[in-house]
Amino acid sequence: MGAHARESAVHASGLGRRFGRYWALAHVDLEVPYGTSVWLRGSNGAGKTTLLRLVASLSTPSCGELAVGGHDVYRQRAAIRRSVSLVSHALYLYAGLTARETLAMWAQLGGTAAAARDVERRLDEVGLAAAADRRVGEFSAGMRKRLALARALLEAPRILLLDEPFSSLDRAGCELVEAWVRRFAETGGTVLMASHDHERSRALCERVIDLEDGQIVGRETLRATGDPS
Amino acid sequence: MRVVWSILAKDLLLEWRERARTLSVVLFAVVTLLLFSFALGPDVEALRAGTPGFLVLALLLSSTLALNESFRIEREDRALEGLLMRPVGSMAMFYAKALANALLLTLLAPVVVGLAVVLYSLEVGPPALAGLVGCWALGAAGLAAPGTLYAAMTSRLKTQDVALPILLFPLVVPVLLGSVKAMDLVLFGDAMNQLQSWVSLLLAFDVIYWAVCGVLFRYAVEEGE
Repeated sequence: MGAHARESAVHASGLGRRFGRYWALAHVDLEVPYGTSVWLRGSNGAGKTTLLRLVASLSTPSCGELAVGGHDVYRQRAAIRRSVSLVSHALYLYAGLTARETLAMWAQLGGTAAAARDVERRLDEVGLAAAADRRVGEFSAGMRKRLALARALLEAPRILLLDEPFSSLDRAGCELVEAWVRRFAETGGTVLMASHDHERSRALCERVIDLEDGQIVGRETLRATGDPS
Repeated sequence: MRVVWSILAKDLLLEWRERARTLSVVLFAVVTLLLFSFALGPDVEALRAGTPGFLVLALLLSSTLALNESFRIEREDRALEGLLMRPVGSMAMFYAKALANALLLTLLAPVVVGLAVVLYSLEVGPPALAGLVGCWALGAAGLAAPGTLYAAMTSRLKTQDVALPILLFPLVVPVLLGSVKAMDLVLFGDAMNQLQSWVSLLLAFDVIYWAVCGVLFRYAVEEGE
């Protein structure tokens, strides 16, 4: 692994992912320094979700190099998963558990006492304190998304992966996500976000990566890293 | 252990909350037992002689229902992926899921064994009943480990309901034979002192299945290249 791979939050070189004969992602070279917010822009099927799943180590590359937080995706998945949190289309929730039980379980699985103490605060932060004892199966799509965000907060990641974080959310929910991502970035967190909400993504992220047919077709810097304007 | 307990507690809580699902497994086992008695007719002696086989087949057939269900909840909303994203070893995940399945299958024993005693007019005392339940539990453990592994593997398939028994049944033949023979000796006497050997054989297969399937589980749940 090169020096770049060790120093970057995400380092990819010649990265590709194939499903059968179809290449969902090909020839991707990517360097995301720590503390940077990146917006993955592209139409449906461009490869955004595939890239996020590869970075989350939920999927194995078909070719190329990928290091996340300095850890090799082929050999050090456990280390990657300790530093990454993913909020995707699938929210990883059990319909039969209540919101409080869901977060308590995640906290227990994480094994940190701080996370266990944080459950009530996180429920409050995402506006689900009043619904904490209701089962997730009774929740609306927006409430489920809020709970998934609370779960991601609880994991205290260094790298946050967001796949369409604003979908299903009402205006208050979107503002909540915006404020949360902004705060996360301000404290040195790295964000990779795929979104069709151009206005909000432009306001939140410092860099843009354009994907089309599984390849990077453009890169844009919106502002310098750490510049809140 | 903390991780195993967290996932096991979650599974048991969900089973309790969705009791209709658990009840359907119990009813399936009961119906299977009833069907065997209808198929053989009113010949009580033949029914008695076949009791060990009927019990083990009822366990085997109802296990596929329970095992399929245990991974349906993990595939809904891709909850299993969420577990993988936590610092949870796949081995711990396996032991939690397999324990939950073994427990559920063992809990069928009082109902199904009790029904067999009534249906087949078995004359058994408490020690023999305890022996039957013990053999059932060992059989359930032997099914739960490979069953959990295969249920995880087949849960991504559209043909899961068919694929699971096709893969599982040939593998668990030793457990099936051992359970039937041990139950037979418990019910009809053990003049040659063979019971201990059969129970040891069952235990040995249980240990092998639990060890090997625990190691292989990661390949069943992780997405390959």
